[in-house]
Amino acid sequence: MPRDGITIKSPGEIKLMREAGQIVAKAKAAVENAVQPGTETRELDELAEREIRGLGAIPSFKGYRAMAAVPFPATICTSINEELVHGIPGNRKLKDGDIISIDVGAIYEGLHGDSAFTLGVGDIDPEAERLIAATRESLNRGISKVRAGARIGDISAAVQTFAEKQGYAVVTQYVGHGIGFEMHEEPQVPNYGEAGRGPLIRKGMALAIEPMLNVGTKDTKQMDDGWTVVTADGSLCAHFEHTIVITERGAEVTTRLNGD
Amino acid sequence: MARKQKEAIEVEGKVTESLPNASFRVELANSHEVLAYVSGKLKLNFIRVLPGDRVLVELSPYDLTRGRITYRFR
Repeated sequence: MPRDGITIKSPGEIKLMREAGQIVAKAKAAVENAVQPGTETRELDELAEREIRGLGAIPSFKGYRAMAAVPFPATICTSINEELVHGIPGNRKLKDGDIISIDVGAIYEGLHGDSAFTLGVGDIDPEAERLIAATRESLNRGISKVRAGARIGDISAAVQTFAEKQGYAVVTQYVGHGIGFEMHEEPQVPNYGEAGRGPLIRKGMALAIEPMLNVGTKDTKQMDDGWTVVTADGSLCAHFEHTIVITERGAEVTTRLNGD
Repeated sequence: MARKQKEAIEVEGKVTESLPNASFRVELANSHEVLAYVSGKLKLNFIRVLPGDRVLVELSPYDLTRGRITYRFR
């Protein structure tokens, strides 16, 4: 393992990451179709789990201990409105006007895929619509900077400048990450930073880029369940994530259906 | 799933040895020895650090053997 702790995946392993990514993409699509007012978050979780296992993979979130006291109990994270990330699916019913962020992770043959999206339930406010679109675009801006020879800071700066130009606050307490044999690997991929700084991006690396944008302040709070993170000021927030691998052909998003 | 940002870890220690360029060997409470440099804020305020002083050291999560001396206790 190189000195900076970043694992490099072989072409065979990259292939498996693409498969894992496609499985995550399919699970995301299945869950997206099931989001309706009245749906319980638990139903979305069960649907995702069936989809992932049905495709021959294992949910990566279930049982995951991220330096937390409690292992994460579900397959997906369902975070509604002011919940930022790591919401735990349960009895909560989706209401018209809610926005929900869904994060899905799967392991296929030992390689990981991790992706997330934010979606409106029924009819949502134009404000919320705008937040979601901006967050989605900030991820795209970050992805556009990914290539061998660039630095992590290039991604971070791209996400930050776009998000702030749109008037949103970038969450700093949670970051994207390397991914591959583990869900969270080196390096950290913050959503804020200076271009030209940070670890060098090299062929064989895989990154999970996940901008989190808040309407209010960037501060977050952890809830008593040990996992759910909410915005400190209760404002709306959105989250998008993709897993990207770096190959000779450049950056490829593994978690979009049908590849690039 | 998002990852929590890793921050510096603050530990207490006793300065063992002084090295050139405001660097010191510090023995931490957990008996680990680290190489630490004096922070600019201490230098700016003319706060001297000598062997035997009890200090606060900020360690990077990326290299637990190097740190920054950020406070000198009475």
